[in-house]
Amino acid sequence: MSKSSLQMKKKQAPKEEEQPELKGTFIAVMGLGLFILISWFIVYFIFVAR
Amino acid sequence: MHLHKYEKIWLIFGIGSLILFLVVLGVGAFYKGTHPPSHLATIDPQNVQAHESFMDENLGLRQVGEDQYLVSVIASAFNYNLGTDEDGKAIRTVRIPVDSTVVFQVTTTDVIHGFQLAGTNVNMMVEPGYISSLETTFKKPGTYTLLCNEYCGTGHHIMAATVEVYQP
Ligand SMILES: [Cu+2]
Repeated sequence: MSKSSLQMKKKQAPKEEEQPELKGTFIAVMGLGLFILISWFIVYFIFVAR
Repeated sequence: MHLHKYEKIWLIFGIGSLILFLVVLGVGAFYKGTHPPSHLATIDPQNVQAHESFMDENLGLRQVGEDQYLVSVIASAFNYNLGTDEDGKAIRTVRIPVDSTVVFQVTTTDVIHGFQLAGTNVNMMVEPGYISSLETTFKKPGTYTLLCNEYCGTGHHIMAATVEVYQP
């Protein structure tokens, strides 16, 4: 009974799609991006200082 | 197309980084005039002595201005030819005063060699048929090792010389 009513609800509101959970992906992507960016600037400042 | 909020953020970050580095590259190339060390200057590798810079008497260190020096080097397996001293002995150490402008111009008679002054920005590839040149100013006195960093054969590890930067 409750199962069928849940399916009914889903069918009635198809616009409310569930957002994928991307928090872990976001942290990984930004972490890698910052690592590349910071490494580049470290090497750049070594180059300028020499 | 629907994009997740996080996707928007990392796409902006990624494309922004791309634009930033392309601008850095453009400023370096077109405004600062940075170019690779072997910049289209060619030479006959069979007969490098025919070139004015690589004649026996012009090898090694030459003073060309008040604070300007030119170092011409012929690299070959497994040696850097820096010319000879008054006694006819091969020079192994080049002495340059601190804060002077030095242009290194190097070519090779056989295979590809490296030309690196450890601890400085002097680092280039030396290819047969080309003259690699690089301008630098030594800001810190010290003894720098000139070494080959492109594997060139069995004696690669003994291919080295010294550059001494001194306080005059
Ligand atoms: Cu080598």
